[in-house]
Amino acid sequence: MFDTALNANDLIFLAKGAGMTLVVTAISVFFGTVLGIVFGVFRYQVGPWWAAPLTFVLDVFRSIPLLIQLVLANAFVTTVLGIRISGFTVACGVLSLYTAAYCAEIVRGGIESVPLTLRRAARSLGLSWRQDMTNIVMPLATRVALPSWIGLALGVMKDSALVYIVQVVELLKSTQILITRLQEPLFLLMVCGAFYFLISFPIARFGGYLEKRWSHD
Amino acid sequence: MKTSLLALAAVATTLAGPALADKLDDIIAAGTLRCAVVLDFPPMGSRDANNNPQGFDVDYCNDLAKSLGVTAEVVETTFPERIPALMSGSVDVAVASTSDTLERAKTVGFSIPYYAFENAVVSREGLDMANWEGMKGKTVGATAGTYEAIWLEGKVKEWGAGEFRPYQNQADVFLALSQGQLDATVSTVEVAEANVKSGNFKGIKIVDKAPMVPDYVALITLREEYGLINYMNLFINQQVRTGRYAELYKKWVGEGEPANLTIQGVYR
Amino acid sequence: MFNYNFRWNQALNSLPQMLEGALVTIEIALLSMLIGIAVAILLTVFRLSGNRILSAIATTWVEIARNTPALFQIYMVHFGLGGFGIHLSPFLSLLIGIAFNNAGYLAENFRGALKAIPDTQARAARSLGMSAGKAFRHVVMPQMLRISFLPMTNQMVWAILMTSLGAVVAMNTDLYGVTSELNARTFRTFELFAIAAVIFYVITKAITLSARVLAARLFRY
Repeated sequence: MFDTALNANDLIFLAKGAGMTLVVTAISVFFGTVLGIVFGVFRYQVGPWWAAPLTFVLDVFRSIPLLIQLVLANAFVTTVLGIRISGFTVACGVLSLYTAAYCAEIVRGGIESVPLTLRRAARSLGLSWRQDMTNIVMPLATRVALPSWIGLALGVMKDSALVYIVQVVELLKSTQILITRLQEPLFLLMVCGAFYFLISFPIARFGGYLEKRWSHD
Repeated sequence: MKTSLLALAAVATTLAGPALADKLDDIIAAGTLRCAVVLDFPPMGSRDANNNPQGFDVDYCNDLAKSLGVTAEVVETTFPERIPALMSGSVDVAVASTSDTLERAKTVGFSIPYYAFENAVVSREGLDMANWEGMKGKTVGATAGTYEAIWLEGKVKEWGAGEFRPYQNQADVFLALSQGQLDATVSTVEVAEANVKSGNFKGIKIVDKAPMVPDYVALITLREEYGLINYMNLFINQQVRTGRYAELYKKWVGEGEPANLTIQGVYR
Repeated sequence: MFNYNFRWNQALNSLPQMLEGALVTIEIALLSMLIGIAVAILLTVFRLSGNRILSAIATTWVEIARNTPALFQIYMVHFGLGGFGIHLSPFLSLLIGIAFNNAGYLAENFRGALKAIPDTQARAARSLGMSAGKAFRHVVMPQMLRISFLPMTNQMVWAILMTSLGAVVAMNTDLYGVTSELNARTFRTFELFAIAAVIFYVITKAITLSARVLAARLFRY
């Protein structure tokens, strides 16, 4: 069954695609998380009324298919504005904002999970807002938010399969290129699927473990 | 978001400064020519054993770059993506067997034809299909956005029977055909013959020629780039004149006369 | 400021076609949710059954659905099954692909929801003379579905967004398919996809709002 024409070169080619998937994911998750924390804290701090414009924009990123976001952003920046940037930049930009939109929700949920009484107690002991945030809220909110954040990061990795639309050759696209030449669709797709699975599964399990452990003590 | 838009707008206005060099100047200044080429379209574009681009269109892009004195950079696109890639500026020209339809000319600028295809109807073995009209009422498909896809979808609508499926790339079409998901497809004779000969797709056969007007394909760039279009027209003329066209035909397609690129009875 | 000439007219002329596509998108998402919920309940029962083979099937399903890209799953339904001679139309391929994904995620949600339902309830039901199946159907399942209502709404939104992946299996009647086919013909990429984006936004908002209204009605006690 696994009699294949796949050679060492092709494996390197696939590995390059996989590397691209990981690079795009890492960049997007990093910037998305930083932005997400800023947006999430901002939304919590200023209240729903003043945060409404931001809430709306973030909501848009969660209500439109990623594929369309990529196509639109690419068309807008390059065709309408006429700026020359690479598909890679567009892909990372869109995915970062996409990640930030979900991350902001997670951060807000985390902050809200910290009992208000606890924070009042902290403030009345003389802690400043900054001290309260870093020493009380952050450690407690992280416990609640981390499992969801791991889920988000894995989701972004899987969603990065769509950046082929802006000419970025990542894992799924390199698989398709090899399928075109070797015509072994089933085998190659299995290899590609196995790769995603092997990265995602252990991390997802680890997230589940953290969730279980932290919710019991 | 709002501020970033403003920032982008500011960048855009500074970029669109006073010196308006055209694309031809830009390419020569940049030293690279970025061509969109479709690489699942043998013999025009495919990949060799090391996954490097090869084919008629790849060589044509290299020739064009050489004549401009720059290096060529082949950017792979699928058929539906090649014009968006051009419009978005991720490539300078598309050497991608693009049929010169009037609908497309509303958006992009065409050179004179550099190749002409005839299209063939390809079907599965074991299916009783005598000629192209046998496709009536069957499940047929082609690569989304291509000349033959537009023709075939029109036919299916005209017949009022059967089903048309646009796949995203040529490989998926032949894969679906060999799996039996499709009963027939229309593709260029060159591609059909190459795919039947390669044996990669089991159980497919060429049935008939498709009764279409020969599919003239041209190089494309942005509509307003007259300087570059003018250059490409002369380049194509020179390719034929110097015998390079016939040479490339022999290398990639095979023995025989390459298609005549002139049309009797009308100026370009 | 822009060098780009917008041609909204040309794109807006296609609006009726795109709205028809939107109906197909909603249809696929709804059907995929119904199938997804049914299968997810089945997978949950498999996991609870204590039968090793059944629970292995359920676990495999859930893990594959959750750990590979949806695009990959849909492609596999069409070309993977196609390799074994099982031919599904683009519509069915997309529907089954999304339903497969829905079922995996929902089964995981259900598992979480079950934890919130005390064991004692099922035991009480059993001691009242209900069979295990009856206890699950009448006591546990309704609560499980109620607790999972919010995740189910989210999954429904995801299902709408996932319909955009149908192009890889030659789906051309849903909103994304119609838009990309129009784009391949006219190349008004920005205008066409901007309209599609607005339609998608309206659909997802309509779903979340109606789910909120529904929840208020169903769970007001």
